[in-house]
Amino acid sequence: MIPQTDTSTQAPLRDPAKVMRLARLGSFHQSRLSFMRILTRRMTRENWTFTRPVFDIDASGVGHAVFCAHTPNRTYSLVAFAHDLPADKRSDRVIAEAWDSTFTLFDGVPTSDDIERLRQNIPLQEAGRVTEKELSVSRANRSVRLWEHVVSRLAAGQQPDAAEITKVGYLMRTTAVYGSGKLGAADREMIASRPEFSAPFQAEMLSVFLIRTYVRDLAQHMAQARGGDATATLDPALARSMGIGNSTGLGMAPFLLNHPKLINNWISARETAIARVRGVVVATDSEVAMFRDLLARSLVSADLWHSTHEIQIEKLAVLRVDLKQLQAYVDGLDLSRESPWEHLFTWAEAEVGIDAQECLASLMLEPYGVLVDDLADRMSDTNVVQFRIDGSMNVATLRSILTRAYGWALTTDWQEKENCARAWYVSEEKLEPRLGERFDEPIVPYEQPLAPGRDAAALHAALETWDADAVIAEFLLAHPEHRHTVRRAQIVDQAPYAEIQDNTIGSDLMPIDMLRCKLSFFGATHFDPRSDRWVRICLFGNAPYPEDLQSETGDDWPYPTLALAPT
Amino acid sequence: MSYSLNEIEALSKRATRGAGLSWGIAEETGKATRWLASHDLPGVSLLVDVLRQNDAVARPDIAPQSLDGVWQATSGTLCPLVSGAALNDCAGRLSAGHSVEMANVSHPLLVVPFAAWAAIHIKAPVAVTWLDITIETDGFGLSVDDPKVQINQTSPVTLICTSALQKSNALSAPSHRGNANQAAWQALNAFALRTYAPATEESRILGAGAGTSDND
Repeated sequence: MIPQTDTSTQAPLRDPAKVMRLARLGSFHQSRLSFMRILTRRMTRENWTFTRPVFDIDASGVGHAVFCAHTPNRTYSLVAFAHDLPADKRSDRVIAEAWDSTFTLFDGVPTSDDIERLRQNIPLQEAGRVTEKELSVSRANRSVRLWEHVVSRLAAGQQPDAAEITKVGYLMRTTAVYGSGKLGAADREMIASRPEFSAPFQAEMLSVFLIRTYVRDLAQHMAQARGGDATATLDPALARSMGIGNSTGLGMAPFLLNHPKLINNWISARETAIARVRGVVVATDSEVAMFRDLLARSLVSADLWHSTHEIQIEKLAVLRVDLKQLQAYVDGLDLSRESPWEHLFTWAEAEVGIDAQECLASLMLEPYGVLVDDLADRMSDTNVVQFRIDGSMNVATLRSILTRAYGWALTTDWQEKENCARAWYVSEEKLEPRLGERFDEPIVPYEQPLAPGRDAAALHAALETWDADAVIAEFLLAHPEHRHTVRRAQIVDQAPYAEIQDNTIGSDLMPIDMLRCKLSFFGATHFDPRSDRWVRICLFGNAPYPEDLQSETGDDWPYPTLALAPT
Repeated sequence: MSYSLNEIEALSKRATRGAGLSWGIAEETGKATRWLASHDLPGVSLLVDVLRQNDAVARPDIAPQSLDGVWQATSGTLCPLVSGAALNDCAGRLSAGHSVEMANVSHPLLVVPFAAWAAIHIKAPVAVTWLDITIETDGFGLSVDDPKVQINQTSPVTLICTSALQKSNALSAPSHRGNANQAAWQALNAFALRTYAPATEESRILGAGAGTSDND
């Protein structure tokens, strides 16, 4: 089903069968609708202020600090605990048990009793317990090489080397940012009615924004402890170029599958934005100038993007060539022509790869905040009863939904080993989500329902012997094993971008595609896979720090300036 | 102990799956326990009890034999989770003025959240009655008339669900937090544990696809 357009000047939305393929989802780029940018726009618009009431960390780097964000109506406080972590304990895995720093975002200003309670729990992460006063729980580890470089240079009275910074991009990387009720924290529903948290993942993004400031301050503090009076102050431009890293494993992949309506809302918002911009009849000179500037800066960003992973190296090589080709085409193109973006996008679909197409799609939105930023309000899932199954639907209707939304799956041979080679499961070891080999490991009894395509095909087959007029309630009474699939099919019928239209258990599955899709909506850049199921990224790279927010005139911080181009 | 509603939902879902019910029923059971907890009702304890009772019982024995007439199991008692899900599937019957009657359903309070979602669907409050207790809900709020304290009933009863006229007395609103006693929580964890693959060295190394060192 092609979704209907909702404004008269809008181009048609792209077909979900095209958008929802893993190769494309795994090539998404951040955009104006990314959650970090929704947050920074709000912070600037509402004149949020920031304070650091506590920074009680000793010369060995142990202690705690509090960073407050003051919105027009509330205060949120990042409570950070700094630890002295032995190198042999440093692991980005969920199964780690100690970290360089641990954090929580507190709802309000913590009292000394709160701090003591949090000190007993936050450093333990999953082994601790928090309350509804806490909105997130997270931790971060140092990038050992960049941390040492920056701290030792500053301590010696020198600035760190910009080239070393761009190789890594961050001083610390978070290895989990838990929100929404995890470990006893406040459920999202508790705070979702606050305007600052109405868009998805805003509490988590605020946590990371404040963590970045803490990390910068901690590095300066540690340099000071080592270098004394001779210590240099970190050049603000270098500080700004650093984001916060994040190391992400498989946990994000099930999230995409377990929240079909939410994912639909994210992708539908971005697709609607793309369609609106494609429908622009005439672009003004300033819109065109902004696009050309950010395209040039996107090339810089691609040049600054490092990875040692074979697949990403290849992807990056193609992206760089494609972006150069795109730039050359744009250089020779008169964008004052009628429907310039539709023309350009159609050209790109024929001439460059998926990665560059998606980069262009995000870029085209940049000059059009007025046209697209309102879509941020549609990205949450506020329908709490969407999970209800309509048992009065008849078998014929369900069959037609399956044929329409899962056509690819109905023509897949699920008996072929390569089409079902993998199985998703949860390990009893800290409940870490994992992916295994179905035919080699004893994991089938523990398989999670994360293969919607296979399950849809099984449902379709089971329906074959049922009368077209029979109602689904009767069918489900006889076949409860298809219940979760019927629910998905009914959701997809209402939410066309809800389902990944690809095999999530095939031998050629690249889970990092699913990770990148989700992380691009956070606003992540510089995806750096460590394997097919593990990726490091950069968050808030080049973003303003709290003290910079009010002097920000634009919203283009994810695009590095041309001055940062590698030489 | 106080839990977030998401914790209650997530653990209830895993426990229900661990006890052998389908993923679909487990998903809805998670939401049902969450709904009850938001009204400070003991969904977690009742869930533990029903999962224990029906552990290793063949599902056809605890599901309604048919959705016509009075719902009953082929033998023994109806499972409130399976029956509740079927009730929600058939919500349209309530708006047509029909009631749904279940014979020999255990742990009847666990049916109430499913009736609540049916109420949202038909845009009219519903009443659920067993013994001398009547619970009304519009899907979000709740009113309980329970003169003989039969809300925690576990043994089988006849339950009737009908669409109801909105009572004049106010419905109590849900909260954003839930409570569960430690023993029940541990029991749910024990059921949930059945869904987790045992830790092996191979799984630890390969399953998450992480590198060997993060000291870089």
